[in-house]
Amino acid sequence: MDVYEPSSGAQIHDLNPSDYHPTGLFWTIAIPEEGIQVNFGEGYASVRARNVPIFDYGTFDNAAFGGAPRTPGVVSYRVVWSGINHRVNIRNTDPVFGGFAGTFVRNSAQMEWTAVTDDYIFVSAPLATTKSEFAELGRERNGFFFPQDARWE
Amino acid sequence: MNWELARTARGQLHDHRHAGHAHSWPIVISRREFVRTATGAAAAGLALGAGVWTPGFAGVRKNGEKENEEKSIAPVPIPGGSPGLSPFHVFGPTPDGSFDPIDAEPITITDFNGFVGLAYIDGTVQRTNKHTGEVRTLPMIGSDMRFMAGIYRGVDGRIHEGAFALV
Repeated sequence: MDVYEPSSGAQIHDLNPSDYHPTGLFWTIAIPEEGIQVNFGEGYASVRARNVPIFDYGTFDNAAFGGAPRTPGVVSYRVVWSGINHRVNIRNTDPVFGGFAGTFVRNSAQMEWTAVTDDYIFVSAPLATTKSEFAELGRERNGFFFPQDARWE
Repeated sequence: MNWELARTARGQLHDHRHAGHAHSWPIVISRREFVRTATGAAAAGLALGAGVWTPGFAGVRKNGEKENEEKSIAPVPIPGGSPGLSPFHVFGPTPDGSFDPIDAEPITITDFNGFVGLAYIDGTVQRTNKHTGEVRTLPMIGSDMRFMAGIYRGVDGRIHEGAFALV
């Protein structure tokens, strides 16, 4: 979650679970499967997680590069994807950006969340008041499940 | 993650490299992170060797009640990453391609087959200072939320079922 100072536009909170796990996973955590509902045909998904351990790094710079203190906390959130603006089939074999294939729905998403850190309590506005700059749902396969061989297609 | 900030950070990373005072990523992400990761890896060597991944579940509770005791096998990160942010294993697909192309890999793990979601979300949040009681309403901009739910091949080389999120 990225929170800003309205007057200056400066970022003042960056809540994420980054702990640079030795395998190199980027800000990725396991969450209970029970919290996820998907109706891909309808372009709908709901993801709910509770008490996810995070740190408030203050800024993205600090989260990415370090150098300043961070504050531990937990966040609970619910994200809902809905609607279908359009569907796209992607088979991306680009050596930089690709290595996966799937069907995607470009749509909208909304979120509500709460967080508690050592210093602050955060309670977002209701889900219905939020909007997405970009959102997509997909069913994809990559790596081991995407041999870049046309025989799979 | 706000990708506008990431774009700025990408520039800073280049500045660091060009300035010649940051020759490897572990130093860039800070000595503190590097030391902690290295120490943690050494201390947890047995667990890592067994492929048991606990950090993601360390504090996640089901139904707000009981500590989730399940252990998840760590997934493998995608091999690549956004140019300029390497070796962070993540892309930032954007509709106008201003950061990464819209059709760039949207998830952070590889050897995966399942449902995924990505969203950059704007809204507001009410923040209460626990020490002073001050309450403010602040904008949330471009929060990057993703999920992955399906089957994956873990670091143990075996196929598992699981769910993950980028927060």
